[in-house]
Amino acid sequence: MALVLLENVVKSYRIGDQEIRALDGINLRIDEGEFIAIIGPSGSGKSTLMHLLGCLDTPSSGRMQLFGRDLTSARADTLAQVRNKEIGFVFQSFNLLPKIDVVRNIELPLLYSGIPAAERRKRAIEVAESVGLGARLGNRPTQLSGGQCQRVAIARALVNRPRIIFGDEPTGNLDSATGEMVLQMFRDLHAAGRTVVLVTHDPDVAAVTKRVIEIRDGKVRREYNP
Amino acid sequence: MNLWITLETGLREIAAHKFRSFLSMLGIVLGVSSLIATMSLTNGIERGTKAFMQQVGGLELVTVIGKEISAEMIEFANLSPGRTVQDARAIRASTPVVTEISPEINIGALLSSGPISQRMQVAGAWPDYFGVNRHEIEAGRFLTQLDVDRAAHSVVIGDSILKRFWPNLPAEDAVGRILTINQTPFKVVGVLKVYEREQDKRIREIVKARQQPTSSKSQNRWDPFRRKNESVIIPLSTMFFEYKSGQLPEDSLDSIRLDNLSFRVGDLDRFRETLSKVRNALNITHRGVDDFDLQTREEWFQGMEASISATRLSGGLIAAISLVVGGIGITNIMLASITERVREIGIRLAVGARGGDIFLQILVESVSVAFIGGIIGVAAGFGLIKLLIVIAPSENVPFVSLDSIVISVVFAIIAGVLSGIYPALRASRLDPISALRYE
Ligand SMILES: Nc1ncnc2c1ncn2[C@@H]1O[C@H](COP(=O)(O)OP(=O)(O)O)[C@@H](O)[C@H]1O
Ligand SMILES: [Mg+2]
Repeated sequence: MALVLLENVVKSYRIGDQEIRALDGINLRIDEGEFIAIIGPSGSGKSTLMHLLGCLDTPSSGRMQLFGRDLTSARADTLAQVRNKEIGFVFQSFNLLPKIDVVRNIELPLLYSGIPAAERRKRAIEVAESVGLGARLGNRPTQLSGGQCQRVAIARALVNRPRIIFGDEPTGNLDSATGEMVLQMFRDLHAAGRTVVLVTHDPDVAAVTKRVIEIRDGKVRREYNP
Repeated sequence: MNLWITLETGLREIAAHKFRSFLSMLGIVLGVSSLIATMSLTNGIERGTKAFMQQVGGLELVTVIGKEISAEMIEFANLSPGRTVQDARAIRASTPVVTEISPEINIGALLSSGPISQRMQVAGAWPDYFGVNRHEIEAGRFLTQLDVDRAAHSVVIGDSILKRFWPNLPAEDAVGRILTINQTPFKVVGVLKVYEREQDKRIREIVKARQQPTSSKSQNRWDPFRRKNESVIIPLSTMFFEYKSGQLPEDSLDSIRLDNLSFRVGDLDRFRETLSKVRNALNITHRGVDDFDLQTREEWFQGMEASISATRLSGGLIAAISLVVGGIGITNIMLASITERVREIGIRLAVGARGGDIFLQILVESVSVAFIGGIIGVAAGFGLIKLLIVIAPSENVPFVSLDSIVISVVFAIIAGVLSGIYPALRASRLDPISALRYE
């Protein structure tokens, strides 16, 4: 079954009297269990595409179907619910909350899905241990290294058992050794049967995936398997 | 997101920015403490006034007064015997709602005991006199029906009389002593309590504690209870036979003119109805001559109550203004705090928070700030009142009531809700993508 189905999707922004087409007629299908890289130079529309796929935004025109639901013109609350239940995000700049500790950061998505406190804590600890953070539960993100922060972010993305995981330049703020380790984690997730989509401008990152979609000026330029 | 977590998150946020939170609370603290203070002050005034109203007999006390006869009735004036004991009996017979009725005859007489003599007012009265005038006994007893029936030579005296004639004698020991009234000996059967204002009571206690003689200053001041403390009461019958009979040969106890006639209405819900029954009864005894009127305290008391409400209202208004200002303070600081937390809000939205969750989070935070401010304000209000009692003692001691605490905390919470709505709305409408990008 197709997890994601985009048909002729356009996303345009209006700046003054000028219309910018960040995405210009995208057709895309992502199936369960795929490991995909979306690649392209800066300004090509990668982030915009990920925002649509991640239910942070809706298209200006075309059709967008996720997990069998048509979300082309879904309301904000519906999108929030889909993000909460079906989607995990890993960002370039980690996007952790600095004032709360590791477990609470990992728990965050569960706060918004009505899961009781004890269950929340149990699941957060489980996921933290699975990414090797079992000893860091009480630390604040400011006390962690970049690689550890990104592992917290991955744990947070996994805690709600999403059907698809997005990484937006997940290695962009890391040195190459740490970046390699984070990529290995995504590879492991894929190996465990999860659907993973990485957004990157780096061909080396794209090379670890199974299917590369190259974007240029808001259009799919080519697609290949590395 | 459940409310408990939201509350915890809000409290963490407040604790993480203690100084900022304190600043945003300040207005509420001032508003609530001034609300508590003004309410406590008016509470004190109200209690003092109510006590005063009770001590002067309360609303239930009605006096039958003499009145100028109208021009068209002037030739019938002689028909009316005026206010007499007959009136008292007629009123008693007219309605059971009149619980106590007191006819009185007053004379000025020379009182003496041993070497001390003084001219004082003496009242001849029924036992009801004590209830009607809200007297309380300190030692001995009030006059009884038996005293009246036997025209006994019994007298009940007020505290000032005791002090004048037996300066160092405790009230209990004065009972049984002889007081002569215009050369006729009377036995003291009761001594009344001392009536004084709260302020005088405290001054007296302080002076007693310091073992100093009472300062003449406090004695010279106007004292609303002076006359009550100077009471000398003998049975009405004794008064008549000893001092009034024989002045006019046709006088009898029933027909002699009274100097005062007052009664107490037992049920205020039936006040009007009772007054009109009394009026009808008196019309008969006065043979239709309109030489009397019923004087109530309604207007007087209403005037006092109106001035209390006015005080309450103006105090409340000042407090309300400071609460509004406090609320605006919270709004301001919440808006600043949201600007600082755009990215946090973006992260929460990205992991699935809905606009409503964010709205609630901000609202709960501002209500918590207001609530904590309210609690601090209550404490500050308490302190303020304590301070006021010490630095500016007044006869109406202010006191903090539970009502005023509940009301001011509720107003603080309302201020928190109102001041949080706009910032919460702004925060909940943030777009997740731009919020995430915000630096
Ligand atoms: N909110 C926006 N308003 C206006 N233009 C935007 C907005 N977001 C993206 N764009 C434009 O859309 C294009 C694609 O942007 P983006 O998806 O961020 O590219 P990439 O992530 O590949 O660098 C760029 O030209 C960018 O300026
Ligand atoms: Mg980008």
